[in-house]
Amino acid sequence: MRLEKCWFCSSTVYPGHGIQFVRNDAKIFHFCRSKCHKNFKMKRNPRKVKWTKAYRRLHGKDMTQDSTFEFERKRNRPERYDRNLAENTLKAIKKIDKIRSDRASDHIKNRLKTGKVQRQKEARKQLELGIHLVKAPLALAQDSSLCLPKIKVNVSQAQTEENQPMED
Amino acid sequence: MVQYNFKKITVVPNGKDFIDIILSRTQRQTPTVVHKGYAISRLRQFYMRKVKYTQQNFHEKLSTIIDEFPRLDDIHPFYGDLLHVLYNKDHYKLALGQINTARNLISKVAKDYVKLLKYGDSLYRCKSLKVAALGRMCTVIKRIGPTLAYLEQIRQHMARLPSIDPNTRTMLICGYPNVGKSSFMNKITRADVDVQPYAFTTKSLFVGHTDYKYLRYQVIDTPGILDRPFEDRNIIEMCSITALAHLRAAVLFFLDISGSCGYSIAQQAALFHSIKSLFMNKPLIIVCNKTDLQPLDGIFEEDRKLVMEMKAEAMKTVIGQGGEPTNEEGVLLTMSTLTEDGVIAVKNAACERLLNQRVELKMKSKKINDCLNRFHVALPKPRDQKERPACIPQAVLEAKAKQAAEKEKRKTEKELEDEYGGAGVYSASLRKNYILANDEWKEDTMPEILDGHNVYDFIDPDILLRLEELEREEGLRQAEEEGDDFEMDGQELSLEEQEALAEIRKKKSLLIQQHRMKKSTAESRPVVPRKFNTDRKFTTGRMGRQLSSLGLDPSLAINRARSKSRGRKRERSVDKREGDGGDAMDIDDNQASKKLRLRSTSRSRSQSRPPGEVIPGEGLKDSAQKIKAIKLAKKSVLKRNKNARRGEADRVIPTLKPKHLFSGKRSIGKTQRR
Repeated sequence: MRLEKCWFCSSTVYPGHGIQFVRNDAKIFHFCRSKCHKNFKMKRNPRKVKWTKAYRRLHGKDMTQDSTFEFERKRNRPERYDRNLAENTLKAIKKIDKIRSDRASDHIKNRLKTGKVQRQKEARKQLELGIHLVKAPLALAQDSSLCLPKIKVNVSQAQTEENQPMED
Repeated sequence: MVQYNFKKITVVPNGKDFIDIILSRTQRQTPTVVHKGYAISRLRQFYMRKVKYTQQNFHEKLSTIIDEFPRLDDIHPFYGDLLHVLYNKDHYKLALGQINTARNLISKVAKDYVKLLKYGDSLYRCKSLKVAALGRMCTVIKRIGPTLAYLEQIRQHMARLPSIDPNTRTMLICGYPNVGKSSFMNKITRADVDVQPYAFTTKSLFVGHTDYKYLRYQVIDTPGILDRPFEDRNIIEMCSITALAHLRAAVLFFLDISGSCGYSIAQQAALFHSIKSLFMNKPLIIVCNKTDLQPLDGIFEEDRKLVMEMKAEAMKTVIGQGGEPTNEEGVLLTMSTLTEDGVIAVKNAACERLLNQRVELKMKSKKINDCLNRFHVALPKPRDQKERPACIPQAVLEAKAKQAAEKEKRKTEKELEDEYGGAGVYSASLRKNYILANDEWKEDTMPEILDGHNVYDFIDPDILLRLEELEREEGLRQAEEEGDDFEMDGQELSLEEQEALAEIRKKKSLLIQQHRMKKSTAESRPVVPRKFNTDRKFTTGRMGRQLSSLGLDPSLAINRARSKSRGRKRERSVDKREGDGGDAMDIDDNQASKKLRLRSTSRSRSQSRPPGEVIPGEGLKDSAQKIKAIKLAKKSVLKRNKNARRGEADRVIPTLKPKHLFSGKRSIGKTQRR
């Protein structure tokens, strides 16, 4: 029993899911669900379809080269069973997974950093230019801090009586 | 010798059908139209043709019958005898003879009538001659009708005879009825012979085929034979006698040890001795069947003596062939067809004996000399008298011995399975012969999948080392990361700045929204100067609030706005204020002036009441009811307004027959109704 990777979107295909297609040249394609299968039949290139892993890797959205990928390699020769080795492997898998996901999220964070910097600059500019909408330049000249002026509302009891027949 | 194929004999039609066939053929194949005005020779020719044609057909058909049925002298004596036994040679020959005579008679008739026809002088006479000729021919056939029926029956039976090749390797099974011959047959061949508890279940010969040492053997199952004098035997028994007599085969004489066939061993022995003349020159094997009911060792003394006698007889046949040393094993065998114990051994022994005998015969016959020059066994020329036997290393001999011992000692999985309760109950542990570093690990189950990964892909003898390296790397990388993070924090906005920014953005979006609303209604909205605008947004209070929200002091602006506006009662209000000085309550004045101000700014328009205001004389209970009434009124008017009706009674139709509804073809469909 093996978990395969979907040929189109590169997600894992668990047993009991998806479709396998064998072409006349004996190449096997695994698909995780009918969405990927239908896209394949439409001859779409996964490298051009935005939501696939292939696209993301190609366009640098996700991490491509890392030493953690070297650990997972399809081995064709079976190894003789060794309980200690099996135990160690199972523990190692978890650690490797954690490291890999950390590195991947760091990669994404780094990628988004430039956007963040730019947005902050823009915000600063907008603040500078648009401050006149919330605080008059005159008031700004008097009090250069950015603390916003409060609205002064005169509240008196007689006024409320007068307003009543109007609003009825 | 003509080759006969019993299955390919053409069907013999019965008398009436025969006549019908021939006559209708004559009718169809010869010309039918004749008139009395024709020339006489033509008439004669016409009728002669018919007669001759009929005769020819009869001749043909009868000849085929005679030729296709086998002549008993020409076929293999086994078949000759078999046919004689089944159908009686004399009757058969007589029948065929009758057909022959009929054929000749018909020829004679035809010849005579053709001669007479040569002198026929009118149509009528020729015609009646022809009728007479055909009639006589048909009578002949009618007379041999029963013969034809008999021949048809024989033909059908012959077609169903088993196809026994008398020249190939054959094994014959014989014995009393019910001893187990047919069951044995079923066991060693694919034949499916009826096995029933009553005697004479098998009524004719059955053939099956079996293989031994890459050669095909015929196995013939015979009906049982009873111990009777030769003349009293019935047809069924005669079949088996015939087979015994003529076929060169290995004979397996079956003996029922237990006596469950209904005949004692003594009777069976008596039968054996009476037919032992038939076993001349045939390898004979005595088979004791049904040993599951009665083992051979447990029978009585007399019976044992009889069996030994039979064995002695059988031995004679062994000695008679080939001068081999007396091979005791192949002569008397025991088996049980029920438990399948010894069946294969019997078959092998019989095949072996037969094969040896045939080889011997071939060697002795002349034919072998033709083939001998094709055989050549190459032997190295002996240099000296020293013996050089084959050299087998000691290790190999030992290994062979050990293997043999192991084979006997080792318990097979099948035996284990049987021991522990059979196929459904016991499941063999497939792992028990695994070779592992530690035997405790044999029954371990290792997971194949973990967290969406295949575990097998990760297995590596030095995975721990690599993991350590990786973790070290990761530590370094994380340290670097933290250094980078510190740089970033300086650029962020403070809390105040963020609030201000949020306000700016809100304000801006409000402005944009309002602009959009204005834009979308621009065409239908009248452009009214500010003093007439109905929303009444442009008040000084509002202005004051807006200015103060920006942080400016609005009072100057408000005063200026008021001073600039033209109100009717401005002077009076000013007087009032001056008059009272500081004693009048500022609030009241302010209120009064405010009301006046409001009235003055909208001087040109009268102020309407709010829509839901209840006027006492109207007859409505309260504001809610009034609003509902207004709604109903509006609803009733809406539809009419949309249809551009001026009122309830407006039923004007501007165009009674608009052209587009009363003319025009449809692009698809019919224009049956408009």
